[in-house]
Amino acid sequence: MSFVDYLDPLVSAVLLAGIYAAMSIGMTVIYGVMKIVNLAHAGFMMMGAYFVYELFERFHLNPVLGASLALPVFFLFGMAVYWLLVQWLPKSDQPTLSSLLLMFGFWLVLQNVALLIWKNEDRSIFTPMTFSVIRLGPVTIPKVRLIVFVAAVVSVIVLQIVLRRSWYGRAVRALIQNPYAAKIAGVDDRRTAMLSFGVGTAFAGFAGALLALLYSFSPDFGRPFLLRSFVIIVLGGLESFSGVAVGALVLALVEQFSIFIPGVDASYQPAITYGLLVVVLLVLPKGIAGLLEKKWRVA
Amino acid sequence: MKPSLLRYGKLALPFLVLMAFLILPRVRDDQDLIRILFATFVWTIAGIAWNIIGGFTGQVSFGFAVFYGLGAYTAALLINAGRNPYFAFLGAAGIAMLASFLVGLPTFRLRGPYFAIATIGVTEAVRVIMSNVSFTGGASGYRITEYGPFRQNEHYYQALVILALAVAISALVAYSRFGLALRAIKQDQDAAAHLGVNPYAFKLWAHAIAAALTGVAGALHARYNIYLDPSGGPGGVFAFQTGISILLIPVIGGIGTVWGPVLGGAVVGVVEEWFTVKFPSIHLLLYGALLIVIVLLEPDGLVGLLHRLAKLFRRRREDTGGPRADKVLWGRSRLEGREL
Repeated sequence: MSFVDYLDPLVSAVLLAGIYAAMSIGMTVIYGVMKIVNLAHAGFMMMGAYFVYELFERFHLNPVLGASLALPVFFLFGMAVYWLLVQWLPKSDQPTLSSLLLMFGFWLVLQNVALLIWKNEDRSIFTPMTFSVIRLGPVTIPKVRLIVFVAAVVSVIVLQIVLRRSWYGRAVRALIQNPYAAKIAGVDDRRTAMLSFGVGTAFAGFAGALLALLYSFSPDFGRPFLLRSFVIIVLGGLESFSGVAVGALVLALVEQFSIFIPGVDASYQPAITYGLLVVVLLVLPKGIAGLLEKKWRVA
Repeated sequence: MKPSLLRYGKLALPFLVLMAFLILPRVRDDQDLIRILFATFVWTIAGIAWNIIGGFTGQVSFGFAVFYGLGAYTAALLINAGRNPYFAFLGAAGIAMLASFLVGLPTFRLRGPYFAIATIGVTEAVRVIMSNVSFTGGASGYRITEYGPFRQNEHYYQALVILALAVAISALVAYSRFGLALRAIKQDQDAAAHLGVNPYAFKLWAHAIAAALTGVAGALHARYNIYLDPSGGPGGVFAFQTGISILLIPVIGGIGTVWGPVLGGAVVGVVEEWFTVKFPSIHLLLYGALLIVIVLLEPDGLVGLLHRLAKLFRRRREDTGGPRADKVLWGRSRLEGREL
């Protein structure tokens, strides 16, 4: 095989990594600030997909515009969920079983609500751009994937800027580094937690809306993406924002190139992904960010 | 009533319930009722098993569908090979135990949320592999052919006996030195290690016992249902949802108690087998709402609720064990704020 044969999967891996990063970063924000492994992430993604679907079907709104509209809507939705449920959880600086179960319960509720409204059938969004491609030499890129990639990357970069420059971002990073010291220094942890839950939910909804452009969806839509988000944030070290980008890229590359492993059927590909999760947990429990940190400390 | 009499009554109650279930098929010959009870017993066995590692030892696993499914498939293969079904149950327990070591040896090196997350990965990986291997028919499922007449009561009694066994094992674990070590690991792994408990070995063995019991539950399910579905959808033996239903049983009943999973099993069994049939469109909603209510209002589950009710009627306030004792000692209940 020549280099060109590897170029196509490489390009699609990079395009995939963009949307993977956008869908995982919300989970990292929530985990970092509240130490909640948000299982309802999948439910929010599914709701995002249906949100953009409804806007598209009813008002013929451009799906990318619809996806951006999902950001503020799901931000408010997430804050409401926090106010209604999450804030009553016992506080802890470690993930607790009760937080896992609460979010799982909420996911089930979301799933059932979607089942009641949209029934258990696959839906998809077709636009004129769904089937058009861009040719760049030997590589063909589906237009819709490129648009999704750009939207996802822009959103992640904007979030990065907010986290680096704003007062809210400083509070988030302080709470991640040392929650006690942050509180002593005057960080309002409840307010930050509420905003962070909103941000996490907003990104879940946004990513779900973008994914709806690429895949068909049903009320069970988020599950495989939830597991991928796990793999990504574990690869990234759970609390590191730049780690998410690296984790997303690694996972996308593994997924795209696992078909080249000789003797392994393509249908085993998901097993490789989940196997990767276990292996990474064992070898690099602090993720790639932890590895880099260790290197720096030695140097 | 004198407290001693009350205590005897408490001790005798499980045996009375057991007797009632033993004579039930003779009194009422209701096929559907027996079916629901059978399924409830199977769920309860798996729930009791989960509680040994998840409740007593505090190692939350989302991956019990692996053992349930492997037990089911092992029993199915053995029965199809013409073996005695009871031998098949033993085989299921053995294979599930083996699998528990394969899962546990690497993952118990992890602490905190990592073990729980790793079990999610393991379940999905095993499901994908089992939907693709050829000797069990892959994704199209596996059918069991057993010769001889189908006797529902035989299945019922099988499940009842194994359930009684599971409760006995759970009680033995809870009140033995082994169980004490498990609780010590749950409360503070480092302190337990300093006192001479090897957390790694104890976790492995607790996991193995739990897996063996879950494997038998899967085998019971397989022999009764005849057809095994490896898919990720509802009813699939390897489905993530199956692992969750197993986990819900002790959570609903009262995590880390002997009788919690039994009560929880009754609730989940009835919801799964009766509610799902009656109201198929809202049973997820019911589960979700139940979970949210339990987590936020009564983290000790049904057992905690019963203790609270009993306290209302009791004049003397001293607490004799039970979930509240943990709260006195550790300032938090079993579920609430507990670290993974």
